[in-house]
Amino acid sequence: MNCVLEGNSIKAFGKAIHALSRVGDELWFDPTVKGLALRSVNSAHSAYACFLFSPLFFQQYNLDSVREQDSGPIKCKLVMKCVLPLFRCSTSIEHSVKRCQISVSTGSDQVIVQFFCRHGITKTYNVRFLESEALQAVFASHLCPNVLKSPARLLGDMVMHFHASQEEVTLSMSAPKVSLRNYNEGRNDHMKMMHTEMSLHPDEFDYFQAGMDSDITFCLKELRVTGLFLEASLLLSHENIMCAESESDTSSHVGNSCLRGHIAVLYSVLGIISM
Amino acid sequence: MKFRGKIIDIACLNHFTRVVTTISKLTKMCVLRLTPDNLFFVLSGKVANGGVSMWCELSQANFFDEYQMEGVSSEDNEICLEVTPENLSRALKTVQNAKAVKVKLTKKHCPCLTIAAELEMRCVWGYIHLQSALRTRIQPQPTLSSVSRVVTHDVPVDVIPRRLWHEFKEPSMPDFDVSIYLPPLKTMKNIVDRMKNLSNFLVIEANLNGEMNLKIETDLVSVTTHFRDLGNPPWGDDASQDGGPSQSRDPESMVEARVDIRRLQQFLVGQQVNPSKAMCNIVHQSVLHLILLHEDMSLQYFIPAVA
Repeated sequence: MNCVLEGNSIKAFGKAIHALSRVGDELWFDPTVKGLALRSVNSAHSAYACFLFSPLFFQQYNLDSVREQDSGPIKCKLVMKCVLPLFRCSTSIEHSVKRCQISVSTGSDQVIVQFFCRHGITKTYNVRFLESEALQAVFASHLCPNVLKSPARLLGDMVMHFHASQEEVTLSMSAPKVSLRNYNEGRNDHMKMMHTEMSLHPDEFDYFQAGMDSDITFCLKELRVTGLFLEASLLLSHENIMCAESESDTSSHVGNSCLRGHIAVLYSVLGIISM
Repeated sequence: MKFRGKIIDIACLNHFTRVVTTISKLTKMCVLRLTPDNLFFVLSGKVANGGVSMWCELSQANFFDEYQMEGVSSEDNEICLEVTPENLSRALKTVQNAKAVKVKLTKKHCPCLTIAAELEMRCVWGYIHLQSALRTRIQPQPTLSSVSRVVTHDVPVDVIPRRLWHEFKEPSMPDFDVSIYLPPLKTMKNIVDRMKNLSNFLVIEANLNGEMNLKIETDLVSVTTHFRDLGNPPWGDDASQDGGPSQSRDPESMVEARVDIRRLQQFLVGQQVNPSKAMCNIVHQSVLHLILLHEDMSLQYFIPAVA
């Protein structure tokens, strides 16, 4: 497999890796015909993120280059600590890197990342990978009774009312409104905690479907990660977020998926339904 | 006991938020006194906070467009609440774009100051553009409709019973020896920041000739910063009725107060806006009294001197 990135795409790719690094410690690298999928999951398996870069995102995208035998799609898992430093300095990447080429060498179990920089400098990084089963979150978003679709900025607006240290929030959906309030676990001093609630009108969303009234509590910190990526890329192009809820037994998933240029992001955070 | 206030003007909201933020940098908890004409943020000097006390006075008419209160009783038409100013500050900071912000005393799971704001959003075919947004999204068939987003913050407070109100009275002007205008706060802050690395205590001395020195002294080093031509506020009659310190005192002689440098630094760090007037009164080896006067708010801060 072999692909080439140029210009702003390198920066966006780097930002995606930054966002994924906040979710988990391992990066699943999955080149497919639909595009290159980067995925991560946290240790508790309560948050999952997937960035799918379509072939159109790249200058070049070839799946069948280095492999000798047709052993099926490559599934490799990289250690985040090895990959993140390559894309750490987005400003220096912006200034000096002209092209980035990523290829997979199954023979030597490596992902090779090459940066072609100004002044004829080429930086080559070989990152060893582990073979692994592909990671995939399992939930049927089309079966979700409640669906919200909105511009990226709305997500930022919603979370800005809550302090950075706020861990969990409860999202309530019902026909006349959507509200988000902070959730404080029963503690001795819970009487003294500040309560914040914000409610939004269904008209604010591009698409609003409240199949059933529900309250779902989830970890806000994990949701903020998506907001970061989108906020950072706001300048590049138009974006859309879809937040989908579904129910299965006692747990629920809150997912965000967004299309930005040729990148589809699926984000799923485990939440708890409250009665 | 009832309290409802409404702020509509965006500049007033901004200003009020900045005042509350300044207070939040000075102390973790303080008392908010509400009277028909004023709001006071009070910190009474206790051993726990190093004997430091604070008095901040705001005239409600300068901030609130609507203000109604009913105190504990008709003779004591006042409300005293213990509050964490940082919570208030956080709540206010998130609603800067609001059409109107209401502050009211409510009883939820406990007594609370509820900050409720309505942010008006205009929707174009389901997309949003905030009135102060940088970009406008335009759809082929726009349908303009206005919706409100409601944000509420409930800040828990403790009601202070009447028998404790005497602890939060307006401090009387100390019988100071020298009163002098302060140098630019930013300059003072820079100096105090650096001095803090060398010593825990700082001596502030001043005379009636507009001269002030900030001194630290350790076994290895002593550092002094001199300020000249600061000017002395003309307290005039007030001063003379105390036995006339301004008449009998030699203008060259310095009075000093040795204070905990962190208290002074805390005071300087919190100041976000340049006051119209900044001065300090020193009672020799007793107390440092800092006064900041802004257009619509006054702040007094007392730091006791240590031996």
